[in-house]
Amino acid sequence: MFAAGLTATSVNGLVGHSALIVGLVTSVFGAIALAYATITGDRKLLRTIPNYAWVAGGTALLATVVMMNALLTYDFGLAYVQQVGSRSTPMLYNIAALWSALEGSILLWLLTLAGYTAYIMKRYRKRLDDPLIAWALVVMFVVTAFFFFIAFGPTDVFANGEPGVTDGPGPNPLLQNHILVMFHPPILYLGYVGFTVPFAFAIAALITGRVGEGWLMETRRWALFAWGFLSIGILLGGWWAYEVLGWSGVWAWDPVENASFLPWLTGTAYIHSVLVQERRGMLRVWNISLLIATFALTILGTFLTRSGIINSVHAFADGTIGPYLLGFFGVIVVVSLSLIAWRGDRLRSPGTIDSPLSREGAFLANNVLFTVFAFVVLLGTVFPLIVEALQDRQIAVGQPFFDRLSMPIGLVLLFLMAVAPVLPWRKASTELLRDRLFVPACLGVVCLAVAVAVGADAWASLLAFGLGGFAAGAALRQLVLATRRQGWRGLVGRANGGMVVHLGIILIAVALAASNGYTRVGEFTMKVGEPVSFEGHTFELLEVEAFETERSQGLKAQVSIDGGQAYAPAITRFTLQGMDIGTPSVRTGLTKDIYLTLEKVTEAGASEAQIKVFIKPMILWMWIGGGLVSLGTILAAFPGKRRRDPRAPVSEPVPVGDARTGDEPEVARV
Amino acid sequence: MTAAEVRPPADPRAARRAGWRRLKQGPGWIVVVLLFGVLLVFGIAQGRDARTPEERVEELSKQIACPICDGESVFDSRNPTSAAIRNELLAQVENGQSSDAQILAYIEERFGEDVLLVPRAEGIDALVWILPVMALAGGVTGLAIAFRRWQREGGLEATDADRALVDAARARETGFDDEAEGARG
Repeated sequence: MFAAGLTATSVNGLVGHSALIVGLVTSVFGAIALAYATITGDRKLLRTIPNYAWVAGGTALLATVVMMNALLTYDFGLAYVQQVGSRSTPMLYNIAALWSALEGSILLWLLTLAGYTAYIMKRYRKRLDDPLIAWALVVMFVVTAFFFFIAFGPTDVFANGEPGVTDGPGPNPLLQNHILVMFHPPILYLGYVGFTVPFAFAIAALITGRVGEGWLMETRRWALFAWGFLSIGILLGGWWAYEVLGWSGVWAWDPVENASFLPWLTGTAYIHSVLVQERRGMLRVWNISLLIATFALTILGTFLTRSGIINSVHAFADGTIGPYLLGFFGVIVVVSLSLIAWRGDRLRSPGTIDSPLSREGAFLANNVLFTVFAFVVLLGTVFPLIVEALQDRQIAVGQPFFDRLSMPIGLVLLFLMAVAPVLPWRKASTELLRDRLFVPACLGVVCLAVAVAVGADAWASLLAFGLGGFAAGAALRQLVLATRRQGWRGLVGRANGGMVVHLGIILIAVALAASNGYTRVGEFTMKVGEPVSFEGHTFELLEVEAFETERSQGLKAQVSIDGGQAYAPAITRFTLQGMDIGTPSVRTGLTKDIYLTLEKVTEAGASEAQIKVFIKPMILWMWIGGGLVSLGTILAAFPGKRRRDPRAPVSEPVPVGDARTGDEPEVARV
Repeated sequence: MTAAEVRPPADPRAARRAGWRRLKQGPGWIVVVLLFGVLLVFGIAQGRDARTPEERVEELSKQIACPICDGESVFDSRNPTSAAIRNELLAQVENGQSSDAQILAYIEERFGEDVLLVPRAEGIDALVWILPVMALAGGVTGLAIAFRRWQREGGLEATDADRALVDAARARETGFDDEAEGARG
């Protein structure tokens, strides 16, 4: 392997190329053969189809393994290894180097997608003669083929590098600084790419004309699965930014972040509105559109951030794949809209929603808000491009814009989270609402009082606390009622797991409001032996130390907080890239974090250093909220106690004490 | 609960429960809403009016993009150019002559309009503020219209044609049939 790295063609490159081309051909033929077999009813051909999925999955895996091998064995014959590999990078970050630049991230995408395709095939291979399953798999094959093509052609993942190169710079120093780079991208991709599965089933439902509720049953859990991973992936990204970037924030409304947030918004809308369709058979076009929008937004987001048309700190600028992604996005939109238009007659759903004051009504309001939210984020992200195209002017749309618009939306969503869980299906009376919301409202008042007591003074953060308490009260009420009735099973199932997720989201929202609104920043030139006071804490510089690793050298300042343990923010110079990277040091606490960064220092043993201190309230609760979101998603994925027969007419009364909704049964049937 | 188990109304627990129920239907809510409002107003009133120069600089620097980096604000960025702008802002703020808008206009004049992170509400840039409001208004109106229509239609009655369709479908297949379900729509 090592010798191969020095020759013009790398063995890894050869194997990788071959794997990609085989995968590409297999996926294309898989799609064609499956479509043909389904149309003609050729059962013999149908039986051979799973092999295409195994081969596609296997070649994607092989390509990834080969690239990993090339990185770990320093095969500098490959351009990608020259770009991100380095002999001095520790093994851990060498593994993470697989997704630290464009080519590798496409490979990761491909592996995830081909893996999903193979898994869906494994799960449903006995039912391939069902056209719905077959067409869904055709869609999966087509998307997989597209990404094989992107990896093989325009990106040319396994391109040969310049001859004679024996070492490289390694990944961007920011990407070899924290263990989270191991987890954030793969988990995010599991979610981001996972929305391909429900999308494929939605398209299959349109093609077969079976737009009833059958296809929903197949995909609901997949959508939830993707949503859970996307949520966790986004949060891990925020955590990484907080621990590494040194500006003490978790979210900057950067285009790349927005690209992951957009499908999250439409996906969230979907996992709520799908309940209306399941229960009442309504909103068919809407739900299919949400799934299509979610998938299309993942492609559009990738286009925006991977084509180099938008500048961002963590976009991989590369012009070659842009046109293909944009073209693919166009194809998705045109094909989907045509299919919806074609099936329009079947998509009209029966039934009415009796009253806005009902669970259906709340889900619809939720959908309007989430869609508007997604629109705002998309508009803000692409607006500079629009202005540039129309008037040839450069403008910027930044964090303050997004903050200003997302705040009211977030507050209304919190209010909705308080009211919606207590609403029964069909119709609610105000007496019922007064009765069920009283205790949650009391909790809201208590939370508001706490916020006032600790000194919150902006109306937005006060409302966030008050409404957050209100919403948490409603979620807790549901959980208490459900567990009282069913024991531990009251925590399982969609409605109850969903409430755990709600609690997590509320914690995150309140923690964001608190930390955005009440961060205190001070910058000090600290001298050894002269403590500095700031916001009720004292900081004392103990000493400035030098440290050195194989690939970097740096200085760290030992700062003791309140005379106790010392924290050591550092500046590291990565020799190969010549980049200075600041590393913050954080004292985490239940009520607030103290976040230190080293801004300026002269040399080891210096008697002074410039230190920036951020006091950030409630950050820890964001991570706890993230834990609750994942826990709740897992709980929600378990089936509830009694499930409604999907074949039952939509108007049939729900089994008494339905675990999925946790509704008091007598009201559920009103 | 059978009739024999029903407790006499004199039971203090039942009376307490009834009282609790009455509280939740009226007086309790008045107290809750009042408390919420009072706390909110009190909380806002306790806010300090005067911002310190540092807070003003922080607020301003969050609205200015670092001219030489990708997508970071002057507040977040750590490079010398941003530090220079922060010093400039501090000087202007401590000078006390200019309003926030004037300071931002001055910065814009020096570095170009693409350093302002908050688009202005004039010209075509205003669209970025108007369109979200229009989208929300559109969504809410659409929802209101849909509810009006649903209310007018009332409960959907099956027509004879619908019944015929269902019967035909049932005859064709006894199991779950999406075709028939689709046709019902």
